[in-house]
Amino acid sequence: MEQAKQKVLFESGNELAAYAAKQINYHIMGYYPITPSTQIAEYLDRMKADGEHSIDLIPAEGEHSAAGICYGASAGGGRVFNATSANGLLYALEELPVQSGTRLPMVLNLACRTVSGPLSIKGDHSDVMYTLNTGWIILFANSPQEVYDLNICAIKIAEQLRLPVIVAFDGFFTSHQKRKCFVFAEDKSVRDFIGPKSCDYSVLDPEHPVTIGSYMNEPDLINNKYQLHMAMTQARTSIPKVFAEYRELSGRTLETVTSYRADDAEILLFILGSSYLTAKAAVDKLRKEGKKVGVFSLGVLRPFPSEQIAEICRNANKVLVADRQDSYGAGGGNMTLEIRAALQQKGLTTRVLCRIYGLGGRDFYEKDALDLFETCYEQEVPDFDYIGIYPGEKDFTTKPYFEPVTTANSLQGLTSCKEIDGKITVTGGTVRDTTARPKRLAPGHGACPGCGIPVNVNLLLRGIEGNVVLLFQTGCGMVVTTGYPKTAFKVSYVHNLFQNGAATLAGLSKMYRKMQERKELPPGDITFIMVSGDGGLDIGMGSALGTALRGDPVIILEYDNGGYMNTGYQLSYSTPMGAKSATSHLGPEQWGKTFFHKDMPRIMAATGMPYVATAAESDPNDFIKKAAKAQYYAKNHGTAYIKCLSACPLNWGDKPNTERRVISAAVNSCFFPLYEIEQGITTLSFDPEKSGQKIPVADWLKMMGRTRHLCEDNYFEIMENIQKEVDRRWSRLKAQAAHPEL
Amino acid sequence: MKHTTQAKPASHAVTLPYVNDSGYYEIRLESIGGLGANLCGKLLGELGVGYLGLNASAFSSYGSEKRGSPVKSYVRFSRPKQDILHNSPVEHPHLLVLFHQALSSSQPVTAGVREDCVLVINTSLTPEKMRDELRLHAGTVCCVDALKLALQSKSRVNMVMLGAIAKASGFIPLDAVKDLVTATLGKKYPDMLAYNIAGLELGYQNLTVQFFSSDKRYETLPYHEAQSKWGYQNAPLGGANTHFGSTVSNDLYPSREGFIPLYLPEKCIHCGLCDSTCPDMVFQFAPGEYRGKPGMLNQGLDYHHCKACLRCVDVCPTEALVAGKEHEHPEKQWFVRNMDLIVDKLDFEPAGADSEVTSESYLDELRVDGGLI
Repeated sequence: MEQAKQKVLFESGNELAAYAAKQINYHIMGYYPITPSTQIAEYLDRMKADGEHSIDLIPAEGEHSAAGICYGASAGGGRVFNATSANGLLYALEELPVQSGTRLPMVLNLACRTVSGPLSIKGDHSDVMYTLNTGWIILFANSPQEVYDLNICAIKIAEQLRLPVIVAFDGFFTSHQKRKCFVFAEDKSVRDFIGPKSCDYSVLDPEHPVTIGSYMNEPDLINNKYQLHMAMTQARTSIPKVFAEYRELSGRTLETVTSYRADDAEILLFILGSSYLTAKAAVDKLRKEGKKVGVFSLGVLRPFPSEQIAEICRNANKVLVADRQDSYGAGGGNMTLEIRAALQQKGLTTRVLCRIYGLGGRDFYEKDALDLFETCYEQEVPDFDYIGIYPGEKDFTTKPYFEPVTTANSLQGLTSCKEIDGKITVTGGTVRDTTARPKRLAPGHGACPGCGIPVNVNLLLRGIEGNVVLLFQTGCGMVVTTGYPKTAFKVSYVHNLFQNGAATLAGLSKMYRKMQERKELPPGDITFIMVSGDGGLDIGMGSALGTALRGDPVIILEYDNGGYMNTGYQLSYSTPMGAKSATSHLGPEQWGKTFFHKDMPRIMAATGMPYVATAAESDPNDFIKKAAKAQYYAKNHGTAYIKCLSACPLNWGDKPNTERRVISAAVNSCFFPLYEIEQGITTLSFDPEKSGQKIPVADWLKMMGRTRHLCEDNYFEIMENIQKEVDRRWSRLKAQAAHPEL
Repeated sequence: MKHTTQAKPASHAVTLPYVNDSGYYEIRLESIGGLGANLCGKLLGELGVGYLGLNASAFSSYGSEKRGSPVKSYVRFSRPKQDILHNSPVEHPHLLVLFHQALSSSQPVTAGVREDCVLVINTSLTPEKMRDELRLHAGTVCCVDALKLALQSKSRVNMVMLGAIAKASGFIPLDAVKDLVTATLGKKYPDMLAYNIAGLELGYQNLTVQFFSSDKRYETLPYHEAQSKWGYQNAPLGGANTHFGSTVSNDLYPSREGFIPLYLPEKCIHCGLCDSTCPDMVFQFAPGEYRGKPGMLNQGLDYHHCKACLRCVDVCPTEALVAGKEHEHPEKQWFVRNMDLIVDKLDFEPAGADSEVTSESYLDELRVDGGLI
């Protein structure tokens, strides 16, 4: 084979994963944004907008669904791509053995990141090690260049073996670092290399019906698994073959096991990912001092190349495995355990030390590598240890800055509700008087200047009397308030996984009542409030609906800023149609988000929950009163839900000081009408038509950089559609308000 | 950012003036989110690979590019044939760039600086004054008033800084930077391009430079990784945080961009709208009497937590809150300490918005597509 023409780029691992995917021109990518892998979908979307590929990019409402989209698409026989990280991977995990067990090839990029909890967004290998038992081929890239190269090989390997393939690489260190790299100048070189897609059967071929996903017990299932094992065995020869072909085409070498100055090394370090490169620099330094050290790493984790590893370690006195994750209680990370097993299999008695390092994204410096080698020269060292830990400052104590906010100082009668004939009226709750409410949130949090989240949370809390426990779903709101070792919460607070807040709070509120019932807690009241972004109520829709359907006594506050702002503004289902975002670019081939914003209050109302309301900071008195009502309903009738529009100056592309006016325009345009649904009865809180304040949606959309383009002539049709939909929803709402039966 | 390709041989090939013992010329950019330092770092890397005939890497402190948060960006250059093996932050920069003067008091920005370091600082101060501000033990200090020059050229701070960096480096030709900026903005924004080029040129031309030897006036500031006071022996289990409300010890002044809300109590009607729109709980209300009626009264502002979004100025119905230039009000009349605090003394830590935006691609695109980098 002749070497294909190449060109130089300066790109990150994520950009190169996307570039490879573009060149392959997959049929479908199902995805859900999660740091640090999100950029892959973003770059693909950018290229799609510019007409550089024709992959369908499908934003799911969670990783479980993204994996489902990929599964379905691959059952159709085309080429399928996905990218994820950490808890996204774990949320999708149960789909992985299904994909491999039913032998549907696809490629999943994994920008490795710490698995929660506590939540960390930084890089380590705790996620990828969960995939070792899933039956996927696992490739590991230690540089952006390898991310590109392995992605091109991955699809070929996947289709040869009829197995799905993971291309893993270090989150941030590799995913976000820009490097000089080579790519094929022509997409055709890539497409010729991987060849045409062939499959044994396709669900989309009516002439040859096929059942995918048989119901299989004994005696058959074990044979299916043996077939998978056989494929892994076959992979041991076919992967190196693909790598060799790729070398001919690209001039670049890919290896299952890669090593540096290992041949005569007495001390060997094993380390995965980007740290391998740093360790090479340390090896050079120690070699200059005459120390016989070397380092090795893996390009392929599954199938595990035991034989080559044993071969490399044959002459070493000691091997130190630096694991960027721990298999807690096993005496090593997974690589330690597997390398020990590989050596034992070959009858080697080489001592294998394990050091856990770099968890939660702790940097790996050259000095760390030098220290690891030094460890091996010491006489008395434990087999297992962590590096980079510290005991903390002795005698460090914290003094409370505030009095706790309890019934003692917050049961003030600033708001009160009365229920007469099923109708609830609120007294009090004015903006002025409720300045007396102690703040449950401390200042000094890290939200952007002008952010709407603390504004909305504080407005809600002004209406709430007495004890409060808060739960934030993952998003800007939790990230800016609880960055360790500080917290902005003055009342108790819980965070669980992104999508599971409502269920968590349901459990907590039930425990409160149960412990009171058993006299383990004194009588009294705590109001349980979940705060979530609109993204959290995409992925967490099921959990929220379940809670509402059961009628658990909690309040759900949704701050809707119309996007996944915490991860760099990818589209959510609440993003306005036509808005540009990191996953809905404008370009010759694309015009922003293609579907209408989600009507979450209507979805919640369908559960029959007692209280659904929308609120806006532009009418703060109304907001506070609705909060008081929500507290009343949660205490006496069931789950309450309030949705508020929440400003995001950074990603809306407007000025922080103007946000209240922007929110007001959304209300006046009826894009975000203010209303309540109490026990099924709809009431308009404000009718912009009646008060003569109704404005076209365009007047709101033009206030924000993300939607301003929609006011240009060439987007006329889209704008007209948005206006029609807003009018349609507004008319329906008016009808509902007019007819108690609706 | 869109893909840029440079298949042709380097148009402005250079030789690195000096490198460390790993073979790198290293740059650290210290900034506050929103000034475009991340993008500047990426552009420098691209410049190295695409135009200067070098090998390069560029990455950031992966925290935030949100407005007002401290950001670090790193660039490594090496000879074209040499691999860059290190992925860790730059400890001893050859070139240290400070995008914002306020950083000098809020962050250990000069950590690891040695005598051979060239510092490029966005400031209106002289190198001598700047050295004192930074308590810098040694190095070549290059001052450029980037904010002023950016306004003058209708460009952005990072364009001026890029020009200044080229000059201060001693090896980056201005023409190479111009070619890069031209290629990045393409033919899409010719008018904007002219402003950006003007910004580059002004930065290149308006550098005040002074070398300070290691004269023992100030101590060297060693580089080390941050550590918390809670470690494995004393931290509450499970990451539980019992120090409720502890963000109050953050001083958010680095988030401000020159303005603050000024309070004119004589105009205040104590309606509370300011408190209802403030995301940062700056306003201090207490019971009192206004026009003969008891009620909650606005006592003033705790500026420690004010990020100067100026939402309060926008909603104030009586112009009791107006925007003013912060440097004209060093006293900050009507400064009232947070009235809920029960401690007498508080050691504040300077801090910015700290949200973890981990993809700046959308913001970078906005900047580039806006015709300004």
